[in-house]
Amino acid sequence: MNISAIRKIIFSAIGLILFIPAGISFYQSRHLKEPVVLSPGVSTVKRLSDYFPAIKGSTDDCHIYFFEGKEKGATLMILGGTHPEEPAGRLAPWLFAENAVMEKGRLIVVLSANRSASTVTRIGGGYPPDFTIPTAWGGQKFRMGDRWSNPLDQWPDPEVYIHYPSNQNLAYVDIRNLNRTWPGRPNGTLTEKTTYAFMELIRKENVDIFIDLHEAELQYPVISTIVTHEKGQELATMVSMMLTDMEGFNIGTEFSPKNLHGLSHREVGDYSNAISLLFEAPEPFLDATRGKTTREQLLTGKDAFVMKAGEHGLLFEKIDENGWPIDVRVGRHTSTILQTMESWTEDHPKKPLVCRNIPRYAEVIEKGIGTYLHDPKKANSKRVVFE
Amino acid sequence: MVNKTTILLTTFFLLALLQPLFSQEKQKKAELPVLITSCGQSPGPIKMKIFMKRLKFDYEYNLQATAEDLIAKKKAGKPFKSLIIVTGASLKGMGAAGISIDDELKRIKKLMAEAKKEGIMIIGSHIEGMARRSQGAAAGDNSDELSIDVVCPQSDLLIVRKDGDEDGRFTTISKVKKIPVILFEKNMELGNVLKKLYQK
Repeated sequence: MNISAIRKIIFSAIGLILFIPAGISFYQSRHLKEPVVLSPGVSTVKRLSDYFPAIKGSTDDCHIYFFEGKEKGATLMILGGTHPEEPAGRLAPWLFAENAVMEKGRLIVVLSANRSASTVTRIGGGYPPDFTIPTAWGGQKFRMGDRWSNPLDQWPDPEVYIHYPSNQNLAYVDIRNLNRTWPGRPNGTLTEKTTYAFMELIRKENVDIFIDLHEAELQYPVISTIVTHEKGQELATMVSMMLTDMEGFNIGTEFSPKNLHGLSHREVGDYSNAISLLFEAPEPFLDATRGKTTREQLLTGKDAFVMKAGEHGLLFEKIDENGWPIDVRVGRHTSTILQTMESWTEDHPKKPLVCRNIPRYAEVIEKGIGTYLHDPKKANSKRVVFE
Repeated sequence: MVNKTTILLTTFFLLALLQPLFSQEKQKKAELPVLITSCGQSPGPIKMKIFMKRLKFDYEYNLQATAEDLIAKKKAGKPFKSLIIVTGASLKGMGAAGISIDDELKRIKKLMAEAKKEGIMIIGSHIEGMARRSQGAAAGDNSDELSIDVVCPQSDLLIVRKDGDEDGRFTTISKVKKIPVILFEKNMELGNVLKKLYQK
């Protein structure tokens, strides 16, 4: 055997050695089961395919949690997991799924809107595959996820993504971005079919207010804000004013541009009767100038490099040595959702939305998210669902 | 013979009687109907609209109001008596309207010229804090400040949320240009500011 052949065998062996643990890690990440201990307020759990059968059996056939109030009122829908790499956007609705009780009106909660995107991390990004929220009973592990659907579920990408039905040209990779494919297409890609299925749900369930939860890098101008369709401008402004005055965190409002297509705040409002809102909380983990991409950074939001960018005036949100901990980011979302219900009810007393058992901003920070996650081992197995 | 105490007491009572007159002079009054618009297409004017609606005041809300709107209203026999221009720019808002900050500044200059011609009181406003100042702008983007430059020094009155005046920008304009400024701290105080300003 010559030296060249030996060299090839050695490198192949090294490749195989690296391939095996990487493969195990990818497999475990894709198949990690996340338990949801259903709140006593959850009346029904449906599937997305109940609204559009073509999605049945696909990775994106996610659970839909329904909460019926004792008294009738409006219907509010919370969409979590549009971009699973923005964990506050999944964890805030998780607190609702495990704790909320509706007194008046109806609530619909989604935890994994783009379930496919929750099964992969940014390719080549060296992201952690998962993260754990500490709890009194040990801790709960969640998939880290990505911004885009998993290429294993939707591939290949086109040279240019032409959005349907506007025909607007978007970045090719955004054909796998759930927040660029609204209002969806029944015979399109998996991501387009998914948004189409959600539109069917919104229309069939007569959703009055639709909220899409996100997080944003500090170098992105649309941050710490509510982006609103024109139908929700007054509601969003009222919510923003109340929160800024009463809860000690700043949240602004931005109008949804009419000519920017594919985003939920534009298309859900245009293609249904619902008021569409999108909430953004700050997440330094997403900043291009961040340091180590670790679980700790994801959960504490502390990053010396992002702080440095701030010193040079390159950020649209403040950051200091306290960072942006996950509890703060989740608390912003829970308070903003609850305030939306309150401000809506004030203006629509005949179609109220009243929810209890959900902590607001200060309480989430004081007690931590883990306080509101329940031990699936101690729960009735019939009341545990896996995401 | 009148003693010192009597003089002091009389002066005190006279001043006390005259005090409301001085206060009224200090607190500028504005008249309705009012036109609310934006310079920079930020969502700020919606705050004004919400309070105007709740106060049941006679207002019109037009984010892209022009000088022609003032002329048309005058011709219709119900001229605007005051004009509120909310400063602060939003790239998303301007993008939505398909306009640039230059278009905005041109529109507002013409609108203010017509308002001055018609004797309409101009109220310059900034109510979204530092997020709608340099802190909220991309590097090299000074559209927030341009909108303030065009509106505030030419206004008859300024209404400003205090945290947006962190660097003293508005209080300096007020001092140098001798324009009264109403500063308020909490968003919900804006309702009272407008109530006091417009109620007779």
